[in-house]
Amino acid sequence: MSNVAFALLAAMVVTYALLDGYDLGVGAILHLFSRSDTERSDATASIGPFWSGNEVWLIAAGGVLFAFFPRAYAALFSGFYLPFMVLLWLLIFRGIALELRGHLASRLWHDFWDWAFSLSSAALALILGVALGNLLHGLPLDAQGNFVGSFALLLNPYALGVGVFALVVLAQHGWCYLRMRLRDAPENANAFRGLWLLSIVLDLAVTAWTVATHPIAGPRLAIAGVLGFVALLALVAVGVMQRQRRTVAAFAASSAGIVSLLGAAVATLYPYLIPSSSGYPGLTIFEASPSSGALAGIVAIVAIGLIVVYSYQIAVTRRLLAHCSEQTLVQVKQSE
Amino acid sequence: MDTVVADRLQFAFTVMFHYLFPIGTMGLAPFVAWYTVKAARTGDADAAKSARFWTKIFAVNFAAGVVTGIPMEFQFGTNWAAFSARTGEVIGQPLAMEGLFAFFLESIFLGVLLYGHERVAPAFHALSAVMVCLGSWLSGYFIVVTDAWMQHPVGYAVAHDGTVTLTSLGAVLMNPFALWQYAHVLSGALVTGGFIVAGVGAFYLLSRRDEAFGRAFVRAGILTALVFSAVSVFPTGDRNGADVTAYQPVKLAAMEGLFESRHDAPLDIIGMPDLKHKKLMDPVAVPDLLSFLAYGNFRANVNGLSAYARELWPPVELTYYAYHIMVGLGTIFIAIAVLASLLLVTSRLFGAKPVLWLLMLAMPFPYIANEAGWVVSEVGRQPWIVYGLMRTSTGISTNVNAGETLFTLIGFAGMYFLLGFLFLFLTLREIGAGLDSHTPDTPAPSAPALVS
Repeated sequence: MSNVAFALLAAMVVTYALLDGYDLGVGAILHLFSRSDTERSDATASIGPFWSGNEVWLIAAGGVLFAFFPRAYAALFSGFYLPFMVLLWLLIFRGIALELRGHLASRLWHDFWDWAFSLSSAALALILGVALGNLLHGLPLDAQGNFVGSFALLLNPYALGVGVFALVVLAQHGWCYLRMRLRDAPENANAFRGLWLLSIVLDLAVTAWTVATHPIAGPRLAIAGVLGFVALLALVAVGVMQRQRRTVAAFAASSAGIVSLLGAAVATLYPYLIPSSSGYPGLTIFEASPSSGALAGIVAIVAIGLIVVYSYQIAVTRRLLAHCSEQTLVQVKQSE
Repeated sequence: MDTVVADRLQFAFTVMFHYLFPIGTMGLAPFVAWYTVKAARTGDADAAKSARFWTKIFAVNFAAGVVTGIPMEFQFGTNWAAFSARTGEVIGQPLAMEGLFAFFLESIFLGVLLYGHERVAPAFHALSAVMVCLGSWLSGYFIVVTDAWMQHPVGYAVAHDGTVTLTSLGAVLMNPFALWQYAHVLSGALVTGGFIVAGVGAFYLLSRRDEAFGRAFVRAGILTALVFSAVSVFPTGDRNGADVTAYQPVKLAAMEGLFESRHDAPLDIIGMPDLKHKKLMDPVAVPDLLSFLAYGNFRANVNGLSAYARELWPPVELTYYAYHIMVGLGTIFIAIAVLASLLLVTSRLFGAKPVLWLLMLAMPFPYIANEAGWVVSEVGRQPWIVYGLMRTSTGISTNVNAGETLFTLIGFAGMYFLLGFLFLFLTLREIGAGLDSHTPDTPAPSAPALVS
C-alpha cells in the first residue's frame, strides 16, 4: 500500500511539474520572449485562467504528503524551515503579481508586476530544482531523521546543477506553451535555440553526474537509464518540431521530456522519501506512513479524487480552449 | 522570546489575516452564483452587470485568500512538526481532502467564471459560479472538521509509542462538534456577505449613482443579513455553545468570566475579569440566565474556573473579551438588520440617510465578529493543541528556534501589509468604478491572438 501511495504522490508531483511548469516557464522567459508590453500582456493572459488551478497541484501534493507520510512531511518542512518560507513568500509574491497586473491599464504598473512575476517565477523554478537535487543527493540526517546540515550545504554543486537544469527545461516548456497558444508569438528564434541547446547539454551533464555519484543498481538503474534516454530523445524532438512549426507536437515532446526526467528521478529515489548522506538510515516510504488500514482508506479517497479532478480539469480546459480557436477562425476570416 | 509563544503568534497572525478573505469568499460566493445564474436564465442585462461586478470583487478576495492560505497548510510542517508527526494520520486526511475536493473545484471553475464569459455557453458559465460557491463552502467544511478534531477528538486510538492512529475517518468527518461549528462559521460568513452587499448598495444610494443597483443590493444584503444574523444566534450559536458546555466546560467558564461554580449562574453582559482577585469587576449581569442557557434549567450548576486546576485554564481575559465582542456585535447586527428591514417593508429605507450611513459604516464589523469568534474557539482551547490529548507546548518543531520564527513572522507581517494595502486599493477601486465600468479586470482582450 505504501508503494501505491508513493505512486499517487509521484503522479501528483509530475502533474504539478507539467502544468505549473509551463506557467513558471512563461514567467522565467517573459522578458527574453518579448520586449513589448502588448506581447507580455498576451503571454500573461494566456496563462490567466489556468495558473491558479495548476498551482493547486502543489498545495494538494503537500496535503497528500501530509496524509500519506506525516513523518516525512514534518521532518522535511521543519528541517528546511527558512528555504520553505522563502518558497512561500515567492509563491505569494508571484500570485499577487499575476492577479494584480491586469487591474490597471498603466504601462508602469505592468512593467513592475511583469518583473515581479518574472523574477519570482525564475527563482521558484530554480529553488524547486535545487530541492529535487538535494533529495536525489541525499541529506545529512541524525538518528531521529532530522536534517542536521547547514544551508550552505544545500547549495552544493550537484543540487545547483539540477536547479539550473530545472530552470532551463521549464523555461523551454513555457516557451513551447506560448508558441502553441499565441498566434503572433514573436520569433526570437536564436534565443529559443540557445535555450534548447542548453537544455540538451545540461541533460547530458546532469544524467552523467547522477549515474557517476549514485550507486543504484538492478531494475531501478535500468528504469532510470531508459527514462533518461527517453528524456534526451524528447528534448531533441522539441527542437525538431519547433523547426517544423509543429507547435502542439513540440509542447507534447517537452511534456514527455519532463515526465521522463521526473520518472528517472523517482526511480533513483525509490524507496526513500528522504535519503540520507550520513551514516544514519534515511526515511523510506514504509516507515513514514500511517498504519495500513488508515493508509488504504486515504489512498482510495485520493485515487478517486484524482480521477475526478483529472476529468474535470481536462474537460474545463478543452471548453475554454475550444472557443479560442473558433474565435480565431472568425477573426482570420474577417481579416481576409 | 519563548519558542512556543513565537510559533503561536505566527500561526495566530497568519491565520487571522488569511481568514479575512475566506469570510469574503464564502459570504459573497452565493451572491455571485445567484446573479450569474439569474443572468444566464433570464438574459437580464442588470443581473449580468451585477454578476460581473460581484465576480470582480470576489476574484480579488479569492486571490488574496489563495496566496495567504498556502502558508497555513505548510506551517503544520514547518512550525508544528511534533504535532504533525504525532497526529498527522488524522489531521492530514481532511487537509488532503480539502486540496483534492475543494481547492481544485474552486480554482479551476473560477478560471471559467473570470475568463469564460464570452468563451463558454452561459449555462456552463453559470454552472461554474455554482461550483465555485460549492468549492468555497466545502473547503470551509474540511477546515472546520480539522479544527473540530482538535477541539473534540473522535475516531482515533493512541498507539504504544504515543502516535495517534485513525480508527474511523467517517467519525472524524461527521464529528458532532464539527456540524454546528461549521453551520455557525458559514452563518457568520453569510452575515458578512449580506452586510457587504448592503453596504456597497448604501454607498451607491448615498453617492446618488448606480441607484437602481444600489437599491437591489441593499434589499438582497439586508435580507441575507437579517436571516443569518438570527441563524448565527439560534440555532447555530446556541448549539455550538451546548457543545462547548458538554465537552469543554473550562472554556465556557472563561468565556463567561465565571470564577466560582454556582447553581444560579448569571449571564454577564459587561464586566472585566480580574484574575488577581478571581472575580468580575463591575459586572452587569442577567441573574440565572447562564444556568438556563447552558443546561436549560435556571437552577443548574455551572462549573466556574476554580473547579479546574489553574494550569488547565485558557488565557481568561482574551477568551472573555473576544466572546463578549462577538456576542455584542452579533446583537447589534440583529438590531441593524431588523431596523433596516422594517424601513424597507414600509418603503422608507431608501430615503433614510442615517440608516444608509449606518449600513455603509457597518461593513468592517462582521469581520471583527468572525475573527473574535475564532479567538474564543482557539485561544479558549489552550493549553491543549488537541483537547485533552496533547499540549500545545509539546506540538512545536524542536529544530526551529524562536529567532527564526520571529524573523519569518516579521517577514509575513511586511508581505501582508503590502497585500492588505493592495487588496483594499483594488476593492475600493472596483466599487468606485461602479457597475458600468470596463476596468481591465478580466483580461480577455488577448483572446483574438490565441490559437488552440
